[in-house]
Amino acid sequence: MSDVKITGLHKRYGAFHAVRGIDLEISDGEFAVLVGPSGCGKSTLLRTIAGLEEASSGTIEIGGEVVNDYRPRDRDVAMVFQDYALYPHMTVANNIGFGLRARKMPKADIEARVSEAATMLGITSLLGRFPRQLSGGQRQRVAIGRAIVRNPKVFLFDEPLSNLDAQLRDEMRGEIKRLHQEIATTMIYVTHDQIEAMTLADRIVLMRDGLIEQQGAPLELFERPATTFVAGFLGSPRMSFLPGKLVLEGPTHGVRVGEVMLPVPAGRTLNGAHDGMSVLLGLRPEHLTRAQGEQPAEGVYRHEARIELIQPTGSRTYATFRLAGEPVNAELQAHDVSRAGQQMPIDINMMRASIFDADTQRAL
Amino acid sequence: MAPVARHTSRRSRLRRIPFLRILFLAVCVIFVVLPLYWVFVTSIKPSDDYLAIPPVWFPDKPTLVHYTAALFAYRGLNGLINSLIVSISATFLSCLFGTLMAYSLARFNTGGQHLSFWVLSQRFLPPIAIVLPIFLNYRVLGLNDTHVGLILAYTVFTLPVSVWMMFAYFRQMPRSLEEAALVDGCTRWTSFWRVAVPLAIPGIVAAAIFTFIACWTEFFFALVLTSRNAYTLPTVFRAFLSFQGAQYGEASALAIVSLVPSIVLGVLVQKHLVRGLTLGAIRG
Amino acid sequence: MMTGAAADVGPKDGRQRPSARTSDTWFKWLLVAPAAVLILAISIYPLLFSIWVLFVNYDFQIPGHAFVGLKNFKQVIFDPVAVYSLWVTVALSTINVVVEFLLGLAIAMAMANTFRGRGVLISVLIVPLFISPIIVGQVWVLMLHSPFGPTNYLLSQLLGYEVTIKWLTGFPWNFVALILADVWQWTPFMFVILLAGLTSIPPHVYEAAELDGVGPWQTFWYITVPYIAPMMLLAVTFRLLDAIRLFDTIFIMTGGGPGTSTYSASYYLYTIGFTQFHLSRATAGAWIFMILTLLVVFLLVRRLLTMESK
Repeated sequence: MSDVKITGLHKRYGAFHAVRGIDLEISDGEFAVLVGPSGCGKSTLLRTIAGLEEASSGTIEIGGEVVNDYRPRDRDVAMVFQDYALYPHMTVANNIGFGLRARKMPKADIEARVSEAATMLGITSLLGRFPRQLSGGQRQRVAIGRAIVRNPKVFLFDEPLSNLDAQLRDEMRGEIKRLHQEIATTMIYVTHDQIEAMTLADRIVLMRDGLIEQQGAPLELFERPATTFVAGFLGSPRMSFLPGKLVLEGPTHGVRVGEVMLPVPAGRTLNGAHDGMSVLLGLRPEHLTRAQGEQPAEGVYRHEARIELIQPTGSRTYATFRLAGEPVNAELQAHDVSRAGQQMPIDINMMRASIFDADTQRAL
Repeated sequence: MAPVARHTSRRSRLRRIPFLRILFLAVCVIFVVLPLYWVFVTSIKPSDDYLAIPPVWFPDKPTLVHYTAALFAYRGLNGLINSLIVSISATFLSCLFGTLMAYSLARFNTGGQHLSFWVLSQRFLPPIAIVLPIFLNYRVLGLNDTHVGLILAYTVFTLPVSVWMMFAYFRQMPRSLEEAALVDGCTRWTSFWRVAVPLAIPGIVAAAIFTFIACWTEFFFALVLTSRNAYTLPTVFRAFLSFQGAQYGEASALAIVSLVPSIVLGVLVQKHLVRGLTLGAIRG
Repeated sequence: MMTGAAADVGPKDGRQRPSARTSDTWFKWLLVAPAAVLILAISIYPLLFSIWVLFVNYDFQIPGHAFVGLKNFKQVIFDPVAVYSLWVTVALSTINVVVEFLLGLAIAMAMANTFRGRGVLISVLIVPLFISPIIVGQVWVLMLHSPFGPTNYLLSQLLGYEVTIKWLTGFPWNFVALILADVWQWTPFMFVILLAGLTSIPPHVYEAAELDGVGPWQTFWYITVPYIAPMMLLAVTFRLLDAIRLFDTIFIMTGGGPGTSTYSASYYLYTIGFTQFHLSRATAGAWIFMILTLLVVFLLVRRLLTMESK
């Protein structure tokens, strides 16, 4: 068993309160991604799990054992660092085998394990080289090799891909995902990149100011963000937030944004809502498409838009228009729109749109 | 026309400045080199040429007789050997203890700012204030005029240099390497010894050379704390204090013997010079 | 998936694990211990011991150390040579540092731009830094000594009339000689630090200034000086704290003479302590000198730290 359980964790640096009470359970074999803007405490949390920082209060359990007082070496975790942290004075083979040598494993066993790990990562031909002779991607593989060779209870990744260029990052992301599928060990992964979080995670733990804002499966967070912060953090381009009033009396229920009334479908539940309350209507670009068919489908509001700005990405084109004076992004097919200033009908899927209480910023 | 005129005047000024600059730098170089050359030429010049006018700059019959006299008659060789023993031992101790302390200060902030500034303050104590009490205590302990006594004194007075140089070195070394070692299965000690120290070797070598030069060129402590037995090379120059004997050649020969090693070492670590001179405050 | 279970590399070896916190605490203090103990034993303990020496008559000839109160201090403070030597120290160290600073800055400015042979030139110019001050003194004795040294001859040739200066024994030439030796040795110190400062100024700052039409003097005062001001202060501080120790060159060049005219504070205290063996008096003087030094350290280093933190 190598589940990780964190209870009431706090970390203070003098007056600065970096982690402010975290409760988190990560089950055996799960891939958990800690994500959030810089300074949210995610790296501190990871380093506290590794034992590189000491918890101010609260407990950390790994595999059912409280490890607060353990030195990092006794926690049986492996960590991949942002700058790879390869020992420049050792060859790749010695880098990978260093942890085993530090634990006084017999030489033959070390060699066997190092070559096994190297084969798995496709770096067998690099074993005799020094880190300075490797490319960024190769260094990353060695860093991962150094972690897997120890067969630890838990893998910790501290923004491992942020030093790579975009193309390599995509490639290594796939590699890490494949690795997890093969060895099925608990992994905790820190990143500030929401795409990495979405693609890798079994579970995303989204942090803000030393607290967990929301956690759950990636699509759950994406589709049903608990707060405007989560909604704004995940997804690119960002979700647009339109201030409006909730209308729950009369023939149609909906959100009134300025002069525009956007009806809320009957099937949509709104917890704690009351008539006339101030809300923020959250629309992702994906919720908006070019109008399809004569009549809008069930739960879809059709809006006649004048496109102000287009941003083609190749496969898609993001079009910005104004709805009751507020800018909104729509994700269109590449050829749906050709130029700014064009008039076209846009369908807004109100089933998927989020509605937040404007005071608490929490979802209804 | 006016702009054109200004333009040409600026260009001519640009042309003039490098010439003045070259002249200035040439004078500086002559100022530095001339005394050294004079000492060198005196050391190989026969005694007959001493008072010749004009001075002899290129002796016809160079001789090594002053070197043998300086090393044997004036016991410069003993001083040389003592200097080597004391400087090497003190350098070793200072860099060993200095590296240990610097690592602790850099990684654990041990003792806060107080400890590191306490060490630094040792650098600024006037030697005369320290050497008197040391002399009195060494008298009781029987350490005056011993190698051990001078080695300990030199170790202490070079510790600020080695501690602060290594402190600056460790601080600019990424922590993550040692953290990786800790997670990999090292103790604090093995992550220091097997990861941090091997990576710090260039810094340790530079610190060691500066420490060695400091010990090798030191005069005041050696003057007070040694006499017949453990005297170092710089103190041998006391023999030439009054120039009644006109030992120009011997003094020059001994000067050459003493300054060549430290100059060679110094130019070797030129790259680290700014760091060494400012105790790591400026990277250079 | 790996050969062998986690157990063989894991921590389950049955032995008592040291708690992370206590082992770190032990470790960091153990590393500090050797150096700290040595400084305590060789520097701090003798200093504390010497506080007792201050108030007794410590003499190798006279058994027992009679308590004499403040007599040792009085003897130093009312000794005109002591006061004079302090002024010599202040004057010489100030002149030395100022000359070295200006000359060092000039050389650094002259060499701020790269040119061919710059590296070699730097190597030549820094040579004096690696020579023992006592040998620097000896070198200048050989240069200036008349009739042996070539200086008077060279000056005669340059100026066109006979120069017969007694550099080491005649006032004020003995002071000029001491300054010359100090400037020769320590100008490179200023030069090296200031050059490091100048070369760290990003070139596009100058390019932007040139595009804005800023003249060379304005560029110097409003860009160069503010940029390297912290390094200037650092160089002057470090140099000044060494300059006030002034001893070696005096020892070998003038022997404090003629008479006591070139006594520096260190040289005065050395003579009192180690040629006349008035150990208590010398200790009292050394403490006064140390406290004065610490005042300078405090003022300059504090200034330096506030500047660094900006």
